[in-house]
Amino acid sequence: MSAERSRDTEHMPADVAEVMRKAVRLEWITIAVLVGIVIIVYLAMGNSQAMKTAWIEDMLSFIPPIAFLIGVRVTRRPADAKHPFGYHRAIGISHVVAATALVVMGAILIGDSALKLIRIEHPTIGGIQVLGTTIWMGWLMMAAMVVTAIPPIILGRMKLKLAPQLHNKVLYADADMNKADWMTSLSALVGVAGIGLGWWWADAAAAIIIATSILKDGIGNLRAAVAGLIDARPTTFDSKHTHPLVDEVDAHLQQVDWVRSAAARIRDEGQVFHVEGFLVPETPGAATPENLEAVRRQLFDLDWKIRDVTLSPVTELPNVLETQPEA
Amino acid sequence: MLSLLVAVLAGCSGHYPADPHGTLNRVTGSILRVGVSHNKPFTSLEGETPAGEEVALIEEFASTLDAEIEWMDGSVEELVDQLEHGRLDMIIGGLTDQTPWQSKVGLTLPYAETTDEFGQTDKHVMAVRMGENAFLLELDTFLQSQAQQSRGGQSR
Repeated sequence: MSAERSRDTEHMPADVAEVMRKAVRLEWITIAVLVGIVIIVYLAMGNSQAMKTAWIEDMLSFIPPIAFLIGVRVTRRPADAKHPFGYHRAIGISHVVAATALVVMGAILIGDSALKLIRIEHPTIGGIQVLGTTIWMGWLMMAAMVVTAIPPIILGRMKLKLAPQLHNKVLYADADMNKADWMTSLSALVGVAGIGLGWWWADAAAAIIIATSILKDGIGNLRAAVAGLIDARPTTFDSKHTHPLVDEVDAHLQQVDWVRSAAARIRDEGQVFHVEGFLVPETPGAATPENLEAVRRQLFDLDWKIRDVTLSPVTELPNVLETQPEA
Repeated sequence: MLSLLVAVLAGCSGHYPADPHGTLNRVTGSILRVGVSHNKPFTSLEGETPAGEEVALIEEFASTLDAEIEWMDGSVEELVDQLEHGRLDMIIGGLTDQTPWQSKVGLTLPYAETTDEFGQTDKHVMAVRMGENAFLLELDTFLQSQAQQSRGGQSR
């Protein structure tokens, strides 16, 4: 094993490290923006129950960026005797936490809004004193919702650009959270405008539609996060496709000249992969330590994400890998 | 586009915000049904007709709407029940913004502050039927302008 690999810190190529720095900066900006949003919504919320719910959701939005920042920090710790695999899985734990925040947010919103519809609760929004005149508080709420919807749109789009480059699913979940934020703002805007028209059900109905999509995103993320923790086959950052490295590693092992057949199973450790390769040599003596070490180095050079490689010479491939469906 | 839609629809009903139960439209030029709970000096049911600071305010408010007042007296609990079922348009009785009934009624902005015997500040409000936002805004606008006038009067 080369010296720099054996340290097993979360080092990465310069260009990827630069993307990571951007992502970390973006998450700090997100937290700062959220603090501003929470203050604005708090001031505009008055006695409105609907706005109170929006405020609780905004508080939940703090969870994914904080989970990301803690996760990224923890993965940087070097492996030691007590933690021989390093701390990469911290990203997986962060992903579970971030996804759970999305699920909770969607569920609270659906439950709360459904209850309002069942109770036929008419939202009451009265006046507010602004510069000596009384105006309808609904206008102020709508203005607050427009102001608070814009930053998450921008931040979410920026995160979606960075997430695939880093193969970081927490960042992707956080982009989903930003989408949830601006969509709830939009739904509250439509809801308050509807209340103004005398449609008491508008607020709750708009919220239910949005909350359903938030819950769907949350469940999707939670499934992906759990799949990562139980070592399912790695997928792309959006959990939609098998990760291309899975096939690349297999193809590389199979083309080694002293190998008759080969296959690998790969663990997704969050940002990096650990590869377990199984090789059936052409002749029993071909799998020398020197030959195996050469293959390991080739795999390391394949992609920065391949952080650790274990190779086993075997007489036949494990069953699961032979029956693995073509992706 | 949304604001255009809002403007068009508001033009149809006459008010933005509008009342789901049309309180403001019904009361204007007609009858305002007010529940009164005895709570001196804000309201008093000792005489033939209700009296007190809030009663005087509401009489003034009704006259701006060109409406007659129909009084109903009772405990706050009885009155809230009547309000919820649409038998009343509003309730007065020295309510504060900390009233335990606030999940069942719509409250106005505080129009006056007093200090109670325990040294706590009471912010005085009135109650309307939940969700009747046009009526609530009308009442808020009236009470705030009255409050400003009286504050102006004191300082002069």
